[in-house]
Amino acid sequence: MDIKACLLTTAWLLPLVGFAVEVFGGYWSHHAPGGRFKSRLAAYLSVGCIGGGFLLSLTALLIGLSDFELSLWGTPEHGTEHAAAQFAVADTPHAAGSESHGDTDAKYVSGSLYELARFGNLRIAIDYYIDSLTLVMFTMVTLIATCIHVFAIGYMDDERTEDHVDHEVHTADGSHLHRPGRYYRFFAYLSLFCFSMLGLVLAGNIFMVFIFWELVGICSYLLIGFYVERHSASTAANKAFIVNRVGDFGFIIGLMILITSFGTFNFSSYNDHANSPESPGLFQMARDSHGQVHVAETNDSQRVINFAQPNGSHTSIPYWLLVTAGLGIFAGCVGKSAQFPLQTWLPDAMEGPTPVSALVHSATMVAAGVYLAGRFFPVFLPEVLLTIAYTGAITLFVAATIAVVATDIKRVLAYSTISQLGYMMLAIGLGGWIAGLFHLITHAFFKSLMFLASGSVIVGCHHEQEMPRMGGLRKKMPVTAYTMLVGVIAICGLAIPLHWVTGFSGGWDIAFSGYHSKDAIVATALTYANLNPIHSLLFLAPLITAGITAFYMFRLWFYTFAGKPRDQELYDHCHESPRVMTIPLVILAFFAMFCAIGGEGGPLFNLLGASETHVTDVAGSGIDLPTHSDIAQFHGQAGMLALLVAGLGALLAYLMYCRRQPDPALIKRQFAATHEFLVEKWRFDELYDVMFVRPVHVVASWFSGFDRRVLDGILHWIARTGVTVSAWDRKFDEGVIDRSIDWVAEKTQDVGRSLQAVQTGRLRQYVMFIALGVVTLFVLIFALFPLFLKA
Amino acid sequence: MDYQTLLPSLIIFAPTLGAIALVLMPKDNEDSLRYTALAVTAVTFLLTIALLPGYDISNANMQYVVKADWIPNWNIYYQLGLDGISLPLVILTSFISLWAMVASWSITKQIKGYLILFLLLETGMLGVFMATDFFLFYVFWEVMLLPMYFLIGIWGGPRKEYAAIKFFLFTLFGSVLMLVALLMIYFSSSYGADGEHIFDLVLLADAAQGNGLLGPDLQPWAFWLLFIGFAIKIPSVPLHTWLPDAHVEAPTPISMILAGVLLKMGGYGILRIAFPLCPEAVYSGSIVLVAIGVISIIYGAFAAMAQTDFKRLVAYSSVSHMGYVVLGIGVVGVVSVDGTGSDYWQMGINGAMFQMLGHGVSSAGMFFMVGVVYDRVHHRNINEFGGLAGKMPLYTGLAAGIFFAGLGLPGLCGFIGEVFVVLSAWQFNKALAIIAASGVILTAGYILWTLQRVFLGAEYKGPHEEALIPMLGREKIVASVLLVFAIILGVFPNLVFQYMVPSIEKLTDGMAGRIAGGF
Amino acid sequence: MEVTLNHYLLIGAVMFVSGVVCMATKRNGIAVLMGVELVLNGANVNFVAFARYTNLGLDGQIVSLFVIVLAAAEAAVALAIALNFYNNHQTIDIDQGDRLHG
Repeated sequence: MDIKACLLTTAWLLPLVGFAVEVFGGYWSHHAPGGRFKSRLAAYLSVGCIGGGFLLSLTALLIGLSDFELSLWGTPEHGTEHAAAQFAVADTPHAAGSESHGDTDAKYVSGSLYELARFGNLRIAIDYYIDSLTLVMFTMVTLIATCIHVFAIGYMDDERTEDHVDHEVHTADGSHLHRPGRYYRFFAYLSLFCFSMLGLVLAGNIFMVFIFWELVGICSYLLIGFYVERHSASTAANKAFIVNRVGDFGFIIGLMILITSFGTFNFSSYNDHANSPESPGLFQMARDSHGQVHVAETNDSQRVINFAQPNGSHTSIPYWLLVTAGLGIFAGCVGKSAQFPLQTWLPDAMEGPTPVSALVHSATMVAAGVYLAGRFFPVFLPEVLLTIAYTGAITLFVAATIAVVATDIKRVLAYSTISQLGYMMLAIGLGGWIAGLFHLITHAFFKSLMFLASGSVIVGCHHEQEMPRMGGLRKKMPVTAYTMLVGVIAICGLAIPLHWVTGFSGGWDIAFSGYHSKDAIVATALTYANLNPIHSLLFLAPLITAGITAFYMFRLWFYTFAGKPRDQELYDHCHESPRVMTIPLVILAFFAMFCAIGGEGGPLFNLLGASETHVTDVAGSGIDLPTHSDIAQFHGQAGMLALLVAGLGALLAYLMYCRRQPDPALIKRQFAATHEFLVEKWRFDELYDVMFVRPVHVVASWFSGFDRRVLDGILHWIARTGVTVSAWDRKFDEGVIDRSIDWVAEKTQDVGRSLQAVQTGRLRQYVMFIALGVVTLFVLIFALFPLFLKA
Repeated sequence: MDYQTLLPSLIIFAPTLGAIALVLMPKDNEDSLRYTALAVTAVTFLLTIALLPGYDISNANMQYVVKADWIPNWNIYYQLGLDGISLPLVILTSFISLWAMVASWSITKQIKGYLILFLLLETGMLGVFMATDFFLFYVFWEVMLLPMYFLIGIWGGPRKEYAAIKFFLFTLFGSVLMLVALLMIYFSSSYGADGEHIFDLVLLADAAQGNGLLGPDLQPWAFWLLFIGFAIKIPSVPLHTWLPDAHVEAPTPISMILAGVLLKMGGYGILRIAFPLCPEAVYSGSIVLVAIGVISIIYGAFAAMAQTDFKRLVAYSSVSHMGYVVLGIGVVGVVSVDGTGSDYWQMGINGAMFQMLGHGVSSAGMFFMVGVVYDRVHHRNINEFGGLAGKMPLYTGLAAGIFFAGLGLPGLCGFIGEVFVVLSAWQFNKALAIIAASGVILTAGYILWTLQRVFLGAEYKGPHEEALIPMLGREKIVASVLLVFAIILGVFPNLVFQYMVPSIEKLTDGMAGRIAGGF
Repeated sequence: MEVTLNHYLLIGAVMFVSGVVCMATKRNGIAVLMGVELVLNGANVNFVAFARYTNLGLDGQIVSLFVIVLAAAEAAVALAIALNFYNNHQTIDIDQGDRLHG
């Protein structure tokens, strides 16, 4: 087994071990130092597991650098891919199918851990697929998770008690709910989540992705519903899981199509497996080594895609079916990444403790949808990509508009997360594969930073989350405020563009990570809009939203940290968080600043770029995907526009929330209807309630009633009929059959009684009878019988 | 006699011997009665485990074959055997029986009679799974019926008589149909040079897949008679209404057996008898099977969502989950006449078999969990629970695990079966496959909603709050064992698949050959 | 005049009918017995006559011998019954013995 695979597998399983130990924390913490609810052991264990995982992932990443011969600096050569694309046009399907994908220059390691089942030629297993994307994701997830675990040690500290008071919950007698703390359980769930998330990233086949997809879903359910006593929390948890299941429904349809059409779930052929048959995976089947999809037209003018099956034979799949498969898989991504129209669960998910929001609902799990869309990119056809792009565009705009009016600090961040995920989806849909995943990584850092900072604020303000009650907090909690500011600047993409001063090439911009990644996305969008003018909206939406983003993020920061305190009592009791919480903030702030250093010539971009699958346009789809060289042409223009818009947004926020010029309250009054509409989150929840939730309950009661009334009714009718028939049967028995038998018996007796008179006992009479009888018989036989015969 | 031939009979009749021993024991010492019965079920379980070392995984044929004359005039034999289809179910039976017996500690009324009937029931169940003679199968099938009737009718809840009679009549109706089919098959069979009629299922299957057993006019009749008989047991919509009543009224351990084992007999019967003996009828009727399966999935899930009785909800979830079994075995239609696609059918049948095992563990667990809380507060109204997570944390943890297994969460037993079945269905019929897949949303809906109403929330809303004491040691053991097995099955499904796959491959290959040959 | 079979049969018939009339009319048990004897011997005459006038050999004679023997035995039994009857009823009027009436 490859050393990277060993390291990552260990990093993946470590949190599971942690979970297995911590979940019984309620038992062993009796004996732990400090007593039952006082011990921090569970937290240390959990931090140790994920921290160990980080070290292993980092080692694997470093090994991967040399194994995959990755260069960290400099812009990649764009010339070669064009040559390949030119060459690929002339390629016949047959030649492409028979071409083996040699291991020598493979940029990935794939192998199998164990088999779940094998039916004939179908094999379903736990596999791993490691390329530079996997390595980067592993490192990012474990690093952020470690920071958040450490932060949670401080954040969840009030759970370390035997008598935790939940101020959100009132019991029947009006007092607050008292319950034992659940410190260890929180860390157990976190560890389980880390295990699931890492498994998702490590997965070597789409089925395994689905397994861990569901597992992160249930971890999310458990963590959102961590405060099980709060009805809002458990409802939000249910909503999150069920809405995700709606997406997974599509995911399953995608899986069904893939397994029946391709006969395998594997991403790619194994190259790290001693006895593995060299059968191609989905990626190799859907596109040949030049990124070409072989579309052909059958005799009945149906478009099909030709590919080589694992057994070497060539076969085909209808074009629409592969589109459906792609849309199905993407439906799963929509659910997980809270994209339109399934975005409604994520804001509600903020019911969970803030570290959960930071880890699960901003940095990792929700990004898994984007990750999968990126991972599965080679299988997506242009129609699917277009759907992805439009979904992303709609999402990023809708979510940003809601964020503008939200007042709960975490909800603003939640909508901002949805919006940013929309950016990533948009990028992937536009063919800007690296840009999307680049933004995924940078976003993970600055968004988890901001969530943790908001957590720090929430703890500092004693679980107050409404921004209108805050204000001026930067004096009380400087570390939080300024690390948060780093995050805000990063997400807005503000920068000092030095290269405008020094000329286009050379010289770096003084910018935080978000600038580079958002720049890459906007540049891709602009290029795309130029290549496909009909889809210009896909450029306008992210551009305008960049301004809105800057506006609401600065609004958040000004609202919370700048100006004068709006609630003096809250302000007076407010305090900076302990060091266990601020150090993770500082670390994350560092990464939020510098993780994308160098921009598109920097190490992160190059690392991700090494995993990019080159795809060529599909004939007949009518969509030109931008190439790297196309994008390079528009890069400067896009960057300028984006920066301008973001600057305007930030300025507007400054004017409105620091200068009160114009006064936000006035604007709110003037646009009351719009404001209401946005506060109501575009009324998606009401719509879904009317469209789906209530009908389901109605149908459920119908079915239940059908059982009770119709099916059981029929049954009871049959039973009653049976009873009635048997009653008739009894009557017939007693009235007819018994009566007739009795009648025969009675008559017989009557005859006997009437003959009694003959039985006189007189001998002489009997003799007379005998004589008469003989005479009668004689007459009968000899006189009448012959007469009878004659007749 | 070596142990290979002795072991199967020993397994079947060990509970009977135990029952006889119980008859002889005094009835006032209840604990010794209980421990004896427990020891008997434990020994039976160990005996079934002892089957494993001698079982050759790679051999798809019947193993542990026993054949003795019983009624030789009519070629009826006492004939037992195990293959990859029956072995897992035999182990499931003894496993669930053991834990149901542990759960029986809460039974206090007429304990001696209860235990004797329980053990007789176990004999019947094991016999059904091990008999390879159709007549013997039928006899065991009926043997199992009566103890169940009394167990529900005497130890049940308020409407026990109604439920018991409903159960009995439904099942009897099915048995009668099966009897008709049995006779049809018997009189159509001809074996050997002199064309004798036989009941031997293995030989009948060979005949059906070789030269054909029943003609095209008779075969659909035989198949549908058998199918209705078995579908009642599964139970499939619309023949399912006995199940909620039987479950609601039955005592907890009997619900466990009912859901964990009895329902599996329907699926097993279809796989063991209806399929191999009527391949052509199966093939032409597969769309109906799949449709029934899908309807059961959706119908059961919807009906479960509307329930307010905790046990009734779990019962409807069984209807929904067993729908996957019918769906999985019904995808025989994917086999095209040239023999391709049988991989997906294998996947479907294996998924269905796994679903039976997984459901055996998870539904028994769910019923047990309902029983635990019912024993405390004596009501089952879901809307009058809440807050159990705070009062009984361990119970809540274990119950959540088991309910998640029912929800089909990966890593737990419910997932593997469901997902394989659904995946296999696409090739057969896309629309039905999509409807079946939508079941995942409904399942999540009703299970999570139930969890929320029962376990979560601030306060317990029903009566007898003071009775909500933490789980007893006995209860902890049952629940943890079931959960652990749910996890093991979910993480390492190949442990079971390795036994099932060869035998199922033999079945599918045999039938596919016959289907390819046509009538 | 030739004595033919019919003459014998006529005598037999007269004897038989006399016997029957005797049985039917006499109330005295002994007289009834006598009637029985007459009936039996009427039959005997027929047997013998048939034997003589047909080619049946000695069969008729043998049967009539049987009848005579049986009649003797019967007479003995009947007389014993009559004696007992007399002992019980102080009469041999058979109309007194109607206890068996239905």
